[in-house]
Order: sequence, then C-alpha cells, then structure tokens
Amino acid sequence: MSTVYAIRAEWTKLRTVVSTPWLLFTAVAVTAGISAMVTNAASNRTCPVPSPCLDDLPKLSLTGAQYGQALVVVLAVLVMSEEYGTRSIGVSLMAVPRRWRLYLSKAAVLTGVVVVIGSLGVLGSLLFARQVLPGTAFSAANGYQGLSLRDEPTLRAVYGTVLYLALVALLSYGVAAMLRDTAGSVATMLILLYVAPILTAVVTDPRWLTRIERVSPMIAGLKIQATTALDSPTIGPWQGLGVLALWAAGALLAGLLSLQLRDA
Amino acid sequence: MNGPVTATTHRTTRTAGPLPAAGRPGFGWLLLSEWTKLRSVSRWTVALLTAPVLIILVGLLSAASSQAGNPDSTVSGPDGTWVQDRFHFVHRPLTGDGSVTTRVASTRLELSVPQQDGGDGRTQDVERTVWSKAGLMVKDGLRPGSRYAAVMVTPGHGVRLQSNFTTDIAGPAVGAPTWLRLTRAGSTISAFQSSDGVSWTPAGTVTVPDLPQTVEVGPFVASPAGILMGERQFGTVQFERYPTTTRAVFERPTLEPARATGAASGEPQDGWRDDEVNDEAGQSGPPLPAGARPDKTPQAGPPAAEWAGDRLTLVGVGDIAPRTKSEDVIKLGLTGAYAGLMALVAVAVLFVTTEYRRGMLRTTFTASPRRGRVLVAKAMVVGAVTFVIGLVAGVAALLITLPITRDNGFLPPVYPDWSLIDPTVLRAIVGTAGVLAAIAVFSLALGTVLRRAAGAVAIVIVLIILPQLLAGALPTAAGQWLMRLTPPAGFSVQQTVPHYEQVPRICIPENGCVYDQPWAGFAVVCGYALVTMAVALWLLRRRDA
Repeated sequence: MSTVYAIRAEWTKLRTVVSTPWLLFTAVAVTAGISAMVTNAASNRTCPVPSPCLDDLPKLSLTGAQYGQALVVVLAVLVMSEEYGTRSIGVSLMAVPRRWRLYLSKAAVLTGVVVVIGSLGVLGSLLFARQVLPGTAFSAANGYQGLSLRDEPTLRAVYGTVLYLALVALLSYGVAAMLRDTAGSVATMLILLYVAPILTAVVTDPRWLTRIERVSPMIAGLKIQATTALDSPTIGPWQGLGVLALWAAGALLAGLLSLQLRDA
Repeated sequence: MNGPVTATTHRTTRTAGPLPAAGRPGFGWLLLSEWTKLRSVSRWTVALLTAPVLIILVGLLSAASSQAGNPDSTVSGPDGTWVQDRFHFVHRPLTGDGSVTTRVASTRLELSVPQQDGGDGRTQDVERTVWSKAGLMVKDGLRPGSRYAAVMVTPGHGVRLQSNFTTDIAGPAVGAPTWLRLTRAGSTISAFQSSDGVSWTPAGTVTVPDLPQTVEVGPFVASPAGILMGERQFGTVQFERYPTTTRAVFERPTLEPARATGAASGEPQDGWRDDEVNDEAGQSGPPLPAGARPDKTPQAGPPAAEWAGDRLTLVGVGDIAPRTKSEDVIKLGLTGAYAGLMALVAVAVLFVTTEYRRGMLRTTFTASPRRGRVLVAKAMVVGAVTFVIGLVAGVAALLITLPITRDNGFLPPVYPDWSLIDPTVLRAIVGTAGVLAAIAVFSLALGTVLRRAAGAVAIVIVLIILPQLLAGALPTAAGQWLMRLTPPAGFSVQQTVPHYEQVPRICIPENGCVYDQPWAGFAVVCGYALVTMAVALWLLRRRDA
C-alpha cells in the first residue's frame, strides 16, 4: 500500500520539475533525429546488389539511441542527485522512512518513464527508416525487405533498444545514489559509456578489441540491435545485454547499500 | 530570498565610488581566493587527480593493445624518413660538375583501374594520379633511399624540383612536351625548363649535401599508385590502391661534359645503362616475425627501355616519395586525454554551478563586486590547473607508452623513434594540455550560462564524444565538417605524422584527418571558450546572481 503511495509521490516529484518535460522531449528528439540523419545518409553504392556488406538496416536505423542515452543518463542521475542537491532527501526520507522503498519507488518511476520515451524514440526512428529506405538503394526491387516488427530479429532490436535505455537509466541511477552529486555522476556515467568506442577506434589488436567489446556496457549492450552476423565471435545479442544488466544490477545494489548504510 | 536586492546593492556600491582598501581586493587576491576554493573541496581534488590517472591508464591500454603491421619496405631516406624509392632509371655516371638535358616529348598514364561494373560510379577516384613523374635525376648510386635531386614534369602539378624525398619545389606550371635540364655544381643542383631548348627558365635550386664526386644522372619515370575510395557505408570506407604505369618518351638525352670513352660507335644509347630502382625488391630491414607476410608481393618490373634513334621510351611504376602511416604513436599515447577531459569538465562546471546552488555566489560577489573579474579569475585558475594537469599527465603517458609501442613493433623508419624533447612531440604535449585548458574554460563558461551542472556537463561531454562516434556514420564530407567545427578538432594538435603536399593520402576524419595544420583545430576550441566566456560575462552582468 505505502509502496504505491511512494511511487505516486515519486511520479509527482518527477513530472512537476520544469526541466523534466524538456529533457524527455530532447531525449526522444535526439534519438529519432540522429537516427533519421544517419538513415538518410546511408548508401549501398559500394556493395553489389543484393549486398554481401554487413547492411544491418534495423541497427542502422536505431543509431540515435547511442546519443539519446546521454539524456537518459542525465534524467536518471537527476532523479537521485537532485534530492541531495536541494537537500530534499531529508524530507523524502521522513515521508518514506524505509529507505529501500524510496529507492525502489524512484527506480520504478524512472524505468517506466524511460521505457515510454525510449519506445517513442525507437519507434520514431524505425518509422522514419520505413518511410525513407524504400526510396533509396535499399528498396524492395534491390532485394531488401522493408523494416517490419513482424520480422523477429527486428522486433528484438526494437524492444532490446528500449531495454538497453532502461538498463542505462538504472545504471546511472545507481551511480548517482553512490556519488550523490549531479555533475560527478553524469561525468562518470558518460565516461563509462563512451570511453570504450574511443578505445576501439585506436586499438588494433583483435584480442583486446574483443575484451573491450565484451565488458563495455555500451558496446556489449548495443549488440542487442544486431540482426545480421548474429554468430559474432565477440558476444551475442542477449549475452551483450546481459553484460549491461550485470553492470546495472551491481550499480543498483551499490547505490542501495550506500543509501542504507550512510547518513543521508 | 533577497538575491535581487543584494545584487542591486552591489551594483550601487560598484558605481558609487571606491571602497575602502580592504573591500577592494586586487586581482591577485581574487586568483588566490578562487584557487583556495578549488583546492579545498576534497571531491574536486579527487576528480582533478582522476584526470591524469585516466589519461595514463587509457593511454597505457591503447598502447599495450596496438600492434604495428608489417610494412612493404623499410627503406629510409637520407634523413631517416621512411620512403618509397621505385622508378625506372636510364643513367650514366657524371664525375664532378656538369649538366644533363633532355626533351620530355610525351607522358602517358596507363591505368590499370580495377574493373567497375558498367561504370556506374560506385567508387570515386580520390587521387587522379596527377603525381606521375618523368624527368631527369642526379642520384648517389642506385641504392634505394640514397640521396638525389630530380626535375620532373607531372600531369597535374607542372614542373617540380624534388630532392631527398621530402623537398618539393614548384617550377613553371607546364606539362609535356617540354625541355628539362639539371645542372650540378658541387652540392648545388639547379633545374631549368624550356619550351624550345634555347631559352631556359630557372625551375629552382636545391642543395644536396654529401653528394659524392661521381653520381648517376639521366632520365627517369615513376608512376605512383592510384587510390579508389568507395562511398562510406555502415561506418566503413573501402579503399583500393591500384598500380599504374607511366610511359614517357624522351628525346636527345645529353650529358655535358660527355665522356670521351662512351661515344665509341656514335650510337645515341651508348653509355646509358638501364635499371629499375626498387625498394620493395630486397628487404633490407629487420626480418619479419615467423608466419608473417608482407602486405603485398612486389610486382614484376616494367619492360626495358627502348631506343629509336635518339628517342628513348621508358615505362615506370612506383614512386619516389616519403611513405606515411596513419597510425600515430604520439596520438595513440595521448588518447587518454579524451577520458581525462571528462573528469576535468565536471570540476570546471561545478566550480561555478556549486556557487549558484549553495547561494555562495552572493557571498563571492559581496567580497568582490566586480562580477566579470570573478569569472575571469575563475577561468584563469581552472585553465591553469587543467593545463598543468594535462602537461604532467601527457608527459607521464608518453614516458610510459613510448617504450610499449616500441616493443609492439612501432619501429623506425616506419614509425619515428620520438624523444620527448622533439619539437613535434612537445607541440603535441603542450597542445593537448592547451586543449584541456580551453575545454575546461568553455565548460566553466557554459556552467555560468546555464547555471545547471547536469546540463552543462552533458552538453560538453556529448560535444566532445558525439563527433567522434557520428563521423563514421555520416558521409565523409559531412563527417569531416562535424569534426572540424566541434571542440575535439583541437586534438588535431596531437598529430605527428607529417603531411606532404606531393604525396596523396587517404583522408577520413575518424582517422584524425581533420586539419592539416596542427594548430588550426586548437583555434577552433579556443573560439568555443572565448565566445562562451563573452556570453557568460554579459549574462553575469545582466542577470541577478
């Protein structure tokens, strides 16, 4: 009973902050917008038709998630760190004295919101690709299937990406609960996510590339978007998302412990 | 909240006249107080110290996990530069001073372009092989990599005088047919061009030190490989190098003073010897590791020179030019700057947003009513601190990574054996520290404009990372402009692989091909810092604290 109230309270807190709607709108816009930009720029002119290139169209059309996640990180961090920044954590804990209950309520509201905006961004990206790709070289006449949610790997890429964003949010939330500082948490999270792609761009040794791709929350997690070359020796789609889930679970647990064991 | 009131009071005091000496701190005191604020928050100290650790660790990881490929050849030029030295040379010895003259009657590029399906333009030729070379050369023997000077006519760049692989002087912008002459006087080589063989135009003079008394002189032909670049797709670009040949016709090659012994039978070809110089033929470098193969097998040489009267037809392949690799050992060792930067960004933003959040800024402005000076002091403190951190971390990262990359096969002449006091390396280190400082000032200013930590940190970090990730997904030109106009353009100051105008190169932005001038990108990032600072100063005066 009181968990329901706690969740409702958290939802009220989140939706009544002025910056939240802006953040949510920007997250959807960035995800869909960058996806659209990349989809629009795609070309298959170097590949014979039908293509032996790794033309993973669903993955391509969901590129924007790599950038939209930065806003999801900010949102998730703010949900926790602003309580400390504005010192409202004391009031919140007075209202909901069971700290784990407060912690899980916040996490539940955050997950719900991220699933909704993630779905909007992802479906927007996919709709754009559905509209645009048949008019390019990736047309049915050239042997490309239109993107469809009835295609099982495409469907997995779509809801997998939403899951990915939700897990990134939970990971950031856990980190914010540990660090209790907005800028520090945002910086930590963005370093954690984005350092790996920079490393893979400079590293040439294949063994190290594999290692980095297997442990990086961003690279491993986004393997869920793959619809071709599924027998990749690096890591499969679900194993990849599993890596991110482990990161998220670890951070959530550490955040909870930090909340339970330290003074607020 | 009495924020507006307090702010107004400050404005009044500022305009009302001088305060007592104690209330009007000098700029030095302002710097000291901001420095005290920065160093006395233990979290910030931790974050500031995280930056060099990240810079060193990421550099270490990049270096430890990179392996050098096997080069086609390991021939180096007189100054140690890694070079290609392959051409067809018809030559005779010249002892002491003298000159050699010929008319280049025609040059014809014979491409062997890979088959294209119906010429639908799926690939674009980025290098139209405008650097094929036909002309006269003075060379210290036939050993690949030895000293030389050469005057040549090229299809796209007129007459050039080149020497020792790296020197390239533009002469008259004419093509074949033309007369060329090369004159040696000691170590000074002068080139001349003429349309009629009577009146000569100077085409430049070079000094080739340590040229021996007897040199080989005569006509030569070289024909660099072309490059086909596919359109970008799914983050990858395909390149194909294809060999080309150039056929050149020379008329009346003559040497002065002519050697008496050579002209016994009076035939024009008497005394001229025909050789192909080829640096890829004999591997003179260290033996390759077991199981390794060179990147490609050397091609068969071109057909022998043909004489018809005093007309000489010569077919050449290859090039006489510095080789370059896109891997940059210094850039690799400084990769961590991207990661360390993010920690510095967080501190720089917090340095001002925390004052807003805690209401501390009002105290600060009470102590020092001239707001602009406070922000400038903050910027100077943050800039100086990040600069020093970047400097120390950069030196440490290179001290650690250079021996590792050397062990991983990044060896001279392909990869220069850098020392930390080399001006190029110093530029990379100091430039990297400068980029960190400029981005820290940019972050501080953006934090002042937005007054919110989360937004400012996220915007700066996304601006730093996004171009790097997105450049690969956009068409090459769009990707390059994205890299040129965003703050990470500053990191082009790290590049140490030289670019030669006379060498075509593959240029894709995510490989660091952003600006040719190392400092150009630095100007971009300084622009970001200055413009945002100006906006922040303006807003600071206009808004309530």
